[in-house]
Amino acid sequence: MTSHELRGSKLSLGYAEKDIVSDLDVDIVDGAITVIVGANACGKSTLLRGLARLLKPRGGDVILDGKSIHDLRSVDVAKVLGLLPQSPVAPDGITVSDLVGRGRYPHQGWFRRWTAEDDIAVSAALEATGTADLAYRNISELSGGQRQRVWVAMALAQDTDLLLLDEPTTFLDINHQVELLDLLTDLNRHSGKTIVIVLHDLNLACRYADHIIAMKDGAIIAEGAPNDVVTAEVITTVYGLDCEVVPDPVSGTPMVVPRGRHHARAAAGLTR
Amino acid sequence: MTDLLDTPRRIRSARAVRNRRAYVITTLLAVVAFVLFVISMMVGSYAVSAPDVLASVLHLRDNPSVDFIVRDLRLPTALAGLAVGVALGVSGQLFQRVLGNPLASPDFVGISSGASFFAVSAIVLFDASSTLISGSALVGALLSAGMIYLLAWRDGITGYRFILIGIGITQLMVSLIGYIVSHASIHEAREAMTWLVGSVGQAGSGELRTLLVGLAVLLPVIVGLERSLRALELGDDTAKALGARVELNRLGLLGASIVLVGFAVAVAGPIMFVALIAGPIAQRLVGRTAGGIVAAGCVGAIITLGADLVSHQVLPVDLPTGVVTGLIGAPYLIWLLVTVNKEGRGG
Repeated sequence: MTSHELRGSKLSLGYAEKDIVSDLDVDIVDGAITVIVGANACGKSTLLRGLARLLKPRGGDVILDGKSIHDLRSVDVAKVLGLLPQSPVAPDGITVSDLVGRGRYPHQGWFRRWTAEDDIAVSAALEATGTADLAYRNISELSGGQRQRVWVAMALAQDTDLLLLDEPTTFLDINHQVELLDLLTDLNRHSGKTIVIVLHDLNLACRYADHIIAMKDGAIIAEGAPNDVVTAEVITTVYGLDCEVVPDPVSGTPMVVPRGRHHARAAAGLTR
Repeated sequence: MTDLLDTPRRIRSARAVRNRRAYVITTLLAVVAFVLFVISMMVGSYAVSAPDVLASVLHLRDNPSVDFIVRDLRLPTALAGLAVGVALGVSGQLFQRVLGNPLASPDFVGISSGASFFAVSAIVLFDASSTLISGSALVGALLSAGMIYLLAWRDGITGYRFILIGIGITQLMVSLIGYIVSHASIHEAREAMTWLVGSVGQAGSGELRTLLVGLAVLLPVIVGLERSLRALELGDDTAKALGARVELNRLGLLGASIVLVGFAVAVAGPIMFVALIAGPIAQRLVGRTAGGIVAAGCVGAIITLGADLVSHQVLPVDLPTGVVTGLIGAPYLIWLLVTVNKEGRGG
């Protein structure tokens, strides 16, 4: 893995008339797992799409290795930077190995078609995600958890040093969520891939992130290591949620316990 | 779990098997289409043997009576069946794959009816020459496609909205055609109605030549773009993330299909259902993974030539090609609507 610079400077992003992210500076930590959290519609997916040049900035710029990402050829960007969108579409009747193989797109061209290198990349992606045994199955026959692993395999076959994932754990049960995040951690630790994930689950975010970015109304409220960033105060600011933050009994990372209006113990030891 | 070193080999051999299968089946389809092409020049009130047909078409030997029947009478019709079938099959599959919906074929979403409206207007109002008919059919196809694209555009195109608006455009075009025909003289109206059912036998040589040139230019381009189509099929975001230029490729693929539909309609009228059914049949035969744009063209040709043979040789009464394709296509459409709704992908 070579190291890469990915950052947004004075970035404004939006759809139609509305700016969703405005004047935002962000620097993706190389070789680390960054998790972006925030309430619904805070602009975290928009930011991710902007960083992956799926959305043209209204203002500012996204810089990849010293150059504006929109000045680079899109296949060249796609060799370095991959993205798994929130709800990817699989055409009817397509097999797992075919889908994963399509991740090789940026490495092929008009004259350079399928080669042995592509076979190796597809196999490695299938092995890494534990989907090699599913290779000839139809996507539509798979369970939600298997399907998500196959999509990750497709993004891995693209063989990029940077991988962005937009809410990859949605629709997965807790077991598969943990499995997927463990897989992404393996990829980061073993091959040094830089990973950026948009996640909803704060406790998993705190556990798996090296670096956490908390967003609200299109701006970054706090960022840093989860232990430094995730405090009851920050969570209340970001989500408007009254809560306790306690150490996660397994990992020791911060764990957010919402207070809510009901069910609080009268003289709970948890109160400050 | 399988051995790590073993997986690339398994992937590679499976890919080889799949590609060979697709190659063999596509070749077989091409052979069948060619055989039907030759047969349709053999049969009729005066039977000609296959060697005589080939010898005459290839100018290998001269035999005035056979040459007149084969070259002048039957070759244009057979060639029209072949070319129209290929054009409709290819453009149908491209629409379905670009828009990600089996209902999204040009004859279903108003491209064919737009072309028909303009061609019928040219026939009825201006008593137009063949170049003008081809030209106006093309303009009609492009205009209705442009209208659908503009109306369906909302930060991108989804197949569902494209189809609904396309059906609306179809109805608009059908009512405009009705208006034109109702203002025509009884003779012109009859001619226009015959044309509207669609028949490969009515081809003018100018329109046919335009379609053949269009195919020769656009087919290689389309086959070259199939690689990008495979990325586009995964949705806009994924395709962009893979580095595909989504809008450019989509416009190129849809644009090429629209031109082919326009030229095909100019030749044979709006032959229904060929574009709708050829693509899915081809994909079922060669496998989803192999794609099969060429196979779709072959299947389209088989259906069109087959329907023309059936309508002229098998049935007791002479029917236009479009009636026969309608008889095959309508039950398929009903089946498709039922199953699509069950799976919830047609919206």
